[in-house]
Parts: sequence; C-alpha cells; structure tokens
Amino acid sequence: MNPIISESSSFSIFARPLSKKLQGFLFVLPCLLMLLLVLGFPVVTAIVNSFSPIWSEVKTFTAENYIKLLRDELFWNSLKVTFIFVVSTVFLHHVLGMIVAVALNAELRAKRFFRLIAILPWTVPDVISGLIWRFMYNPTSGIINYLLIRSGATEQYIEWLASPNLVLPSIIFADVWRGYPFVMIILLAGLQAIPREQYEAARVDGASRIQEFIHITIPNLMRIIIIALALDTIWQFRRFGLIYNMTLGGPGHTSEILSLYIYKHYFKYLNFEYASAMAVVMAVLMIIISLPYIRMITRKV
Amino acid sequence: MKRRSGYRIVPYFILIIVCLYNIVPFVWMFSTSLKTEKEAYKIPPTFLPKEPTLESYDQIIVWTSFPRYFLNSTIISLGTALLSTFIGALAGYGFSRFHFSGRATLIGFILASQMLPGVLLVGPYFKMLVKIGLYNTYPGLIFAFTTITLPFSTWMLKGFIDTVPEELDQAAKVDGCSTLGAFLRIILPVIAPGMVATMIFAFLLAWGDLLWVLVLTSGDAMATVTLGLSRLVTQFRIIWPQLMAGSVIATLPPLVLYMLLQNSLVKGLTAGAVKE
Repeated sequence: MNPIISESSSFSIFARPLSKKLQGFLFVLPCLLMLLLVLGFPVVTAIVNSFSPIWSEVKTFTAENYIKLLRDELFWNSLKVTFIFVVSTVFLHHVLGMIVAVALNAELRAKRFFRLIAILPWTVPDVISGLIWRFMYNPTSGIINYLLIRSGATEQYIEWLASPNLVLPSIIFADVWRGYPFVMIILLAGLQAIPREQYEAARVDGASRIQEFIHITIPNLMRIIIIALALDTIWQFRRFGLIYNMTLGGPGHTSEILSLYIYKHYFKYLNFEYASAMAVVMAVLMIIISLPYIRMITRKV
Repeated sequence: MKRRSGYRIVPYFILIIVCLYNIVPFVWMFSTSLKTEKEAYKIPPTFLPKEPTLESYDQIIVWTSFPRYFLNSTIISLGTALLSTFIGALAGYGFSRFHFSGRATLIGFILASQMLPGVLLVGPYFKMLVKIGLYNTYPGLIFAFTTITLPFSTWMLKGFIDTVPEELDQAAKVDGCSTLGAFLRIILPVIAPGMVATMIFAFLLAWGDLLWVLVLTSGDAMATVTLGLSRLVTQFRIIWPQLMAGSVIATLPPLVLYMLLQNSLVKGLTAGAVKE
C-alpha cells in the first residue's frame, strides 16, 4: 500500500492515530456489544437455571432437570414432532423451490409477473399464514373440504387439524406454502450465476436436460444449496407462531413442536429450570446440526 | 441438436400450478374478510362473497385496539430494520476491510449465535428487561429483534461490501475523509440495494414475530398486530371475517414494501447471501 495513503487514513480524533486493527475492531464493537447483552446474558442465565433445582430460592448445582427430561415422554414426543416437521418442510421447500427456480430461469414471457407471484407468500407472517390455513382447513366452512367434495375426491368432511394422523401433514402443507419462496429466490440467484457456456458445451455433446441438471446445475449450486439448507433448517427448528395459531400443539400433543413445549413449561407451568434445561438441549442440537455450515462459511472469509 | 418445442410449455405449466397454490390462500383471506359472519359459516361455503361488505373492517378498526397494534408493529419493525441494518453495515465493513486478529473466530461466533432458539433467550431476557425498567416498551422489543436479525444483516452486508473495490475507500481518504467518513459517505450509498434487502428482511422478521411480543408485553398498549390477531383466535368464539380483515391489514405493509422493493431484495440477496 502507498505509505502516504495509509498515513492519511489513520487520521483520528485521538492524539495518536488508531492502529488499523483497532479501527476494525471499533466498527465491529456495536454489533458484538448487542449480541453479548441480548444473547450472552440470557444464555448464561439459562444455563445456570438449567442446573438449579426446580422452584428453589437457593441456587445449588444439580443435574436433576436433565435426568428428568430423559424420562419425560412428552419431551421425546416433541423432539419427534420437531424432527418430522423440520425434515419434511426443509425437504419440500428445497424440492419445490428448485422446481420453481429452474422454471423461472427458463426463457419465459411474463417472467417478472411469475417471479412476483412466486415470492408473494413469503411476505405473509407465519402467524397470519397459520390463521388463513386454519380457516381453509375448517371441516364445514373451509375451502379445502369444499373443493375435495365438489370434485368427488371425498364424501365426508375431513377433520384436517383435529385428527392426530392428519394434523402434522396439514401443518406441513401450510408451512411449505409460506416457506419455499425464500429458498426459491436463493436458488434462482445461484442458477443465474452459472455460466451459459457450460450448458452450450453440454448441448453440443448431446446431453439431455436431466443429464445437464445432474452434471452442471447441481455441482455449480452445491455451495448455495448448503447455505439454503442450513438457514432453512435453523429457521424451521425455531418455528413457533404458525403452530401456536393453528393447533397450539393439539390434538393432544400430536403437533407439539419443541419450541411450543418449552414455551408451555416456561410461561404456563412456570417451570423455569426445567424449561431452561430443555432449551439448552435444543440449542446444543441446533449448533451440532449447523456446525458443517459454520465451518464452511468461516473457512472462506 | 434441435429440441422438441414441447419443452417450452413445461415451465409455464409448472408456474401456473404453483401460482394457483400461492394465490388461493390470499383470495380466501380477502374473500372471507368481505363476507358477513353468517356467510362465512355457510355450509357449503362460498368461494367469493355473495354480498361483499366492509363491515368487518369497520368493526376491527373502530371497535378494537387494532389501529394501536398497527402503530406498535410499525414503530417496532421500522426501528429494528434501521438499527439492525446500520449496526450490521458497521460490522460488515469492519469484517470486510480490516484483518484484525480473532476475526474469523468472531464471524464464527456471530453466525453461531443464530442457532440459539428464541425460547432459550426470551425468559431470561424478560427478567432482565423487568429489572432495568424496559419491560413493555419499544426499546426492549427493538433491541431483541435487532439482535436476532444482526447475524444475518452483518453477514449479508459484509458480502456486499466485499464486492466494492477498496480503491474507492482509499480515494476518499486521499481527499481527506476519515475512515468513518469514507464508510458513511462512500460505502453506504454504494451498498444501498444490499441495505434495502437487509431492511426488508429485518422488517419482516420483527413484523411477523409472536413469541417475543407474547412474553415481553402485557395489555393492549404495546401489543402488535400478530399478537392482537392471536388473541382473537384463542377466544371462545372466533369471528373469521373480522380475523381475516385484520390479517389483510396486517399483511399489507410487508406486501407493499416487497412489491416496491422487489428488485433490490432479489439483487441484495444475490450479491450478499449467495456470492461465491
């Protein structure tokens, strides 16, 4: 670097010019302070709570909350529900997102119009999409049963959200509506960055569309797919408002995802210590799942 | 090799089906909001209202605290969008331009903080807010949402600043700008599309949240639209036309924002989140 330029860049209000390292750190400082204050303090408190006996004034160290959750059938149930919910929604977001992104990447008329409509559901808050779908699933006054009965697919009023077997698939279908557009935009952005020449070369060699997709599109998109998978998994793991408004975890506990179960323990039954232990387990799970993603990102910065 | 022209129809076919899936819930929400309560419960239901009426909008705007919720949501979401984008841009600039020690660790730490579930944080944060007197206030909520969106904002804006040639900063410094001055006057205007995308992102997150508002507010004074609507649905008798009228109003700001800023959003996500 030109020494004259670096001289003038160290101009500052302090008598001694700030070193470049310190300057950089100062830019990052507000962000770090907020994270430490709003995340750091609660995390430490939650961890301390999780090792304290339930309903006690004196904080003594105990692992009883963790032992208790191992035997808590409802905890395992919510873990299972969360797993089904996260895996199926993330999978469907990516399959549908990929199909729509590839379709939008083709030479099209009215491309802007289609893209606009394709992203639209993402702007609806999940709390509100839960409300809309709840009424669509209404057995007698909802549009879904109406269409199914009209088209002759069924003769009965199906209880979508009140049946233990149908409730999760119904919630997943509603979530996919809102969730896939974001994955789609990210994938579309990746598709547009693939050099056209690669496809042209493949065409000269007589490759089919499927072969093109497997040998050109997928390898080029790999990094972006991993980013989208990671972000989506994290967000789906934390999903709360959608299920809160659709079923509140019911019927019984059949749609009770982990965040909802922990919320109930913390704020309804006021079992702070026990809820904290479950939340710590949830955080550890999420960090383990996203470790490859964090590694990949930080390796390249 | 020549392609069969049948291939050209496939994308349209897929997109039309997908558009139907995307649009039907919107139509259902809007159509229900225009129905009378009696018509909304008709068996079989009507797809479009027989006699459209604005009664539900009138009821929800005049007879409930909905306008207040709307104001609260707007203040909280705008505050979050501005604060998160500004602090995120500062940090993004720091990470992009200065190679201080521990930089990679810090980035890893910031990204990892996204993995902390809200249910872990919200309880202790609530107790902290009560202690310092910020419970049931705008700053309490804005700080929470800003922190949740910060990792993503920082990372996206860092990606954006990476694409701006460093010669630009240096030219500004030759002209006598301080480092902060170069950031404010040169970098921020150049990365405007990225900032817009980040703002929309933070705005949407704050606007749509339920968990944090549920815990960090009490009563009507600080409630947001999402909380207000969720309270209506947990009542014994659900009045769907009113609930859907409220949903239409609550969906409008993010929808309009997105329509206006669509291009910036797509460009911002492309350059920031997806860059190689």
